Amino acid sequence: MVNVTIQDFSYAPTKKSGLILDHVNAQINSQQFTLLTGPSGGGKSTLLKFIAGLYPKYAHLALSGQILLNQQNMTDLNRNAVTKMVGMVFQDPDQQFAMDTVQNEIIFILENLQTDPNQIDKILQQVLDFCGIEELKHHSINTLSGGEKQKLALACVLAMDVELIILDEPFANVDPAARLDLINKLKDLQLHHHKTIIVCDHDLNGYENIVDTVLYLDGQSHQLNTLNPTQIHSLFASFKNATNSKLAINLPNKHQSAILELTDFKLQTADKILLALDNFKFYAHQTTLITGANGIGKSTLFKALVKLTNFQGSILFNQVNINKIKPIKYAQQVSLLFQNSEDQFLEITVQEELELSKKMRQNSAFSEDAIQAALEDLNLAHLLKRNVYNLSGGQKKKLQILLMLIMNPPVLLLDEPFSGLDLESLKVVIRLLQTAKLKFNQTQIIISHQLTNLDQLVDLHVQFSQQTLNYLEVL
Amino acid sequence: MNPGLKLILMIILVLEISFIENLSLNVIIIIICLIYLLKKRPSSKQLVGLFLGPLIPAVGIFLSQMFYGNGGSLLAGVFATRIYAYVFLGACFTFSTNMTDLMKALEQSFHVPAKFVYGILSAFNLLPKVIQQIKVIRTASLMRGVKINFWSPKIYFKAILSALQWSQNLAEAMESHGFVEDQPRSQYHPIRLTQRDWSQFFAILVVFQGLVLILNSKFL
Repeated sequence: MVNVTIQDFSYAPTKKSGLILDHVNAQINSQQFTLLTGPSGGGKSTLLKFIAGLYPKYAHLALSGQILLNQQNMTDLNRNAVTKMVGMVFQDPDQQFAMDTVQNEIIFILENLQTDPNQIDKILQQVLDFCGIEELKHHSINTLSGGEKQKLALACVLAMDVELIILDEPFANVDPAARLDLINKLKDLQLHHHKTIIVCDHDLNGYENIVDTVLYLDGQSHQLNTLNPTQIHSLFASFKNATNSKLAINLPNKHQSAILELTDFKLQTADKILLALDNFKFYAHQTTLITGANGIGKSTLFKALVKLTNFQGSILFNQVNINKIKPIKYAQQVSLLFQNSEDQFLEITVQEELELSKKMRQNSAFSEDAIQAALEDLNLAHLLKRNVYNLSGGQKKKLQILLMLIMNPPVLLLDEPFSGLDLESLKVVIRLLQTAKLKFNQTQIIISHQLTNLDQLVDLHVQFSQQTLNYLEVL
Repeated sequence: MNPGLKLILMIILVLEISFIENLSLNVIIIIICLIYLLKKRPSSKQLVGLFLGPLIPAVGIFLSQMFYGNGGSLLAGVFATRIYAYVFLGACFTFSTNMTDLMKALEQSFHVPAKFVYGILSAFNLLPKVIQQIKVIRTASLMRGVKINFWSPKIYFKAILSALQWSQNLAEAMESHGFVEDQPRSQYHPIRLTQRDWSQFFAILVVFQGLVLILNSKFL
């Protein structure tokens, strides 16, 4: 059994910045399912890394108070002891593996724990089966989708046989079905395998009736509150109000003009065909939402549209084959908001990034005043001097979106633009996208698993399934 | 043969031919290596690469020795074939060894610390990511209206930044997956250093020394 006690704990990422955890207290009991939630940039990931014992080795400075694992101060425990108790699944599916294949990663873990070699095959089989990724055993980790990587990350933690499993936004890139499946698996681990689970998530879908405790990290007061049942109830209720159920949506009509047209189009990886289309059109001045299961090839489709990956057939942009357009011209016409925010950054500070966008943009549709207002609304205005790489996940995402909206390309592809955003930021981002479409005539194509509040923005809905794309009448 | 021992054997052979100026020896090594390589069924592209790759340095060293050196054409030939001998020996090694096995052999039989072994292995696994990342950096900058070429400092700045980020994440990932420096690990797939490995090792060395003696007594 593992009890976590957070006592009077404070932390500031640098000497100059303010506290992001201000003398917080909490108690997490053994074999409980705890949900940690709150606005983005509030320090949730940081707190989780402290509980996992990964800080302060990898970050530093200014902390008061302590975190106790079973009444023992974390800083007094050696790394080995912590490893045997706590396992962590990280936010970014790309950055938690050291080896080449699924099988080798799990073997690496088991060897680290000095598992008897005769037991390794058995454990390997068990954890892969539990997570439903048996068929991926020999696959290279580089070829897995985001959701598959998160299942592997969970399998890794299970292989370690730790009692406390910490998951930091584990489902940000996972489709709703796989998400529910994984949440249920976590519950199963808690109830039948005596695990203690701590999950951090903005998206509250699927957690009601599953969680025992909800901790809310307030971004303003930097306090950590343990919610009582009434508060938990109203938290889920307000989230549900914001989440739309099946809504009717229009199909494209004859009067709409195509801006991107795919003909005899085929997209494949080394071992499977992802997409095969005779003819498909994306329409101008619309916001099109693409949904589909993880790993089906949505991000790969975007990569093909911006020529980051090879494809067969042709893509026409305003009736011109994109291979005939100069790369820089095309990139400025059809731009991608990368799933990983850092890929978008070219400079060092927030200010420099904003200056670059303002200097290089093709049009000044987004006025100076509007930029200032957006910075305020997105809560970024006080961060101008900050290094972009040191922002929180949510702050990076908001800055990235703003940079690309300032560029204001005619077509903007957005790959999971809402992941890691709290409800307030989400509303602001949706309003900004709305303006770009209605006032600046932008065409937007969005991949998102998170559908909250999207009904206000989305005009067309495309479902990606069974290697094809289809317009749907519901959202 | 145990990949670690094979690496040591290769290093000994390469060092030896660096000090022996004998054209026939180089040619014999190239032929033996070529026969060995052909048995491994390389693609035609790989074979062409093996012959063309070293061509420029080999011709360069040949010509400079011919015109500016004082050893004459025989020595120029020795230098040129030596480059091919190095490349073919190296190819025999890489064609018959996989990186994971080599690193594991170094860890298990030659006491190379695990942190180097897994550090190098995971860096190796990052290579495809590095290539993709450079493409992403170039495209991302085009979208911001900036054209960056391979000689632009910005591309290196971003690449180094990504590498630093990855290295920290990798360290966190390894540690959170139970890796602790200098702590014993169990081995799922032990790579042994057998009697047979040692006898092959010495047999090849002895044959090689014999060859060197015979060739040297005849031609020098």
